[in-house]
Amino acid sequence: MKKVLNPLIAVIVLALIPYAGITYGKLDYVFAIVIPYAAAAILVLGMLFRLVDWIRRPVPFNIPTTCGQEQSLDWVKTNPLECPSNPFMAAMRVLSEVFLFRSLFRNTKAELHSGPKLVYGSHKWLWLGGLAFHWSMLVIVVRHARFFLETLPMPIGLLESFDSFLDVTVPAFYITDAIALAAITFLVLRRLSDEKMRILSLSTDYFPLFLFGAIAVIGISMRYVTKVNVMPVKSLAMTLAHFGFDAPEPIGVLFYIHLFLVCVLLAYIPFSKLVHMGGIFLSPTRNLPNNSRAWRHVNPWNPDIKFRTYAEYEDEFREKMKKAGLPVEKQ
Amino acid sequence: MNKFSQLLAAIAAGLAVFVAAWFFIQAGHHGSVPAIAADAVAPAAASPAKGAPIDSSKCILPTDYMRAHHMQELNKWRKDSVRDGNRTFVNPEGAHFDKSLNTCMGCHGSNPMFCFMCHEYANVKPTCWNCHLSPMEVPQ
Repeated sequence: MKKVLNPLIAVIVLALIPYAGITYGKLDYVFAIVIPYAAAAILVLGMLFRLVDWIRRPVPFNIPTTCGQEQSLDWVKTNPLECPSNPFMAAMRVLSEVFLFRSLFRNTKAELHSGPKLVYGSHKWLWLGGLAFHWSMLVIVVRHARFFLETLPMPIGLLESFDSFLDVTVPAFYITDAIALAAITFLVLRRLSDEKMRILSLSTDYFPLFLFGAIAVIGISMRYVTKVNVMPVKSLAMTLAHFGFDAPEPIGVLFYIHLFLVCVLLAYIPFSKLVHMGGIFLSPTRNLPNNSRAWRHVNPWNPDIKFRTYAEYEDEFREKMKKAGLPVEKQ
Repeated sequence: MNKFSQLLAAIAAGLAVFVAAWFFIQAGHHGSVPAIAADAVAPAAASPAKGAPIDSSKCILPTDYMRAHHMQELNKWRKDSVRDGNRTFVNPEGAHFDKSLNTCMGCHGSNPMFCFMCHEYANVKPTCWNCHLSPMEVPQ
């Protein structure tokens, strides 16, 4: 239970920090300008540090995970996506993983029935919930471009109008808001509802979920219920987008809680499981083509060894060998 | 047991969607309008067909409140006047207003860019002018 309560309390405390700071400390400038820049710097530098570190790691063996027939004789049917034989198909496999979560689609469950009988079955809920969560979060993040850009590019405008096509409520209701909330709820309940998942889950699994949940709930509340004047929000976003340092006009404290939790999330990404957003591209089990039979995979750890062939050896000692009566290959 | 808990999770998630959707629809119709508690009395007091004479001498509610809530207030006015036939709005000070865009435009129409300046800046496209004549289209 501690594993669930601690991150929950952590998120609540984090939400109270800007509340106290704005209401009692009048620290608008700190929460509007200083902390967002600091969080962005931590995100960029942290991600660079992580990715450069991973790129520099040697990959001693060709270790792609495969689950299909690799390229073989012409009359053997190959599966280029499950067992990519060239870098292009390997890239396609990584992209299909990024956009469609193909490995989660293969998720199975194991259940112990009375008997005792162990039963395996297909289990697509995690795939569906994860897909719904990631895609709706992406749409929500992209939609926020309307605050940071002077004029909205046409694709983002289209995305917004698709997202609000139900045309209910004023301001228009975004479908992704509901999907994101439902997906977060599901992902939390998934960890809580099953004994095995409860044992496997750590507080670092719950913390990002609660953080995302708090950010989403506050953002949704600001849009539909406890309204916030958008003009100072827009001007603050424009200031941040232009790397300005102008003090913001007064905005509601709810907005600062939203912003602060987003900053916490950004700063948290490079040092947590959330760094998988960059790591997935650098995983050698996914990004290598399975071509070890066609190409020699050279271990980058190999020291530069100076080889000497027998022919060179004989060239040097041929006369001495002849004198000693040893057989030589070349006279 | 496992299957049961998964079913429970699925139902809970589905329920969350419906509750959220219902919540938003309610929020859109009523908004959080603590500033106009007196409004609840208005339908009984007002005569049903005719509203109050158009009074554009002052704003219906405080400026700060209107900046954040005008879209919900207008949406509520539309529902009250068009669907319920209740055309009179009474603000907390007891002043009567006709629930009509003309009440707003009496003042705010003088600047044809009044709506557009902010909406353009914030990249918000309201649907008001799909039906109504916008101040940009009215000859000054």
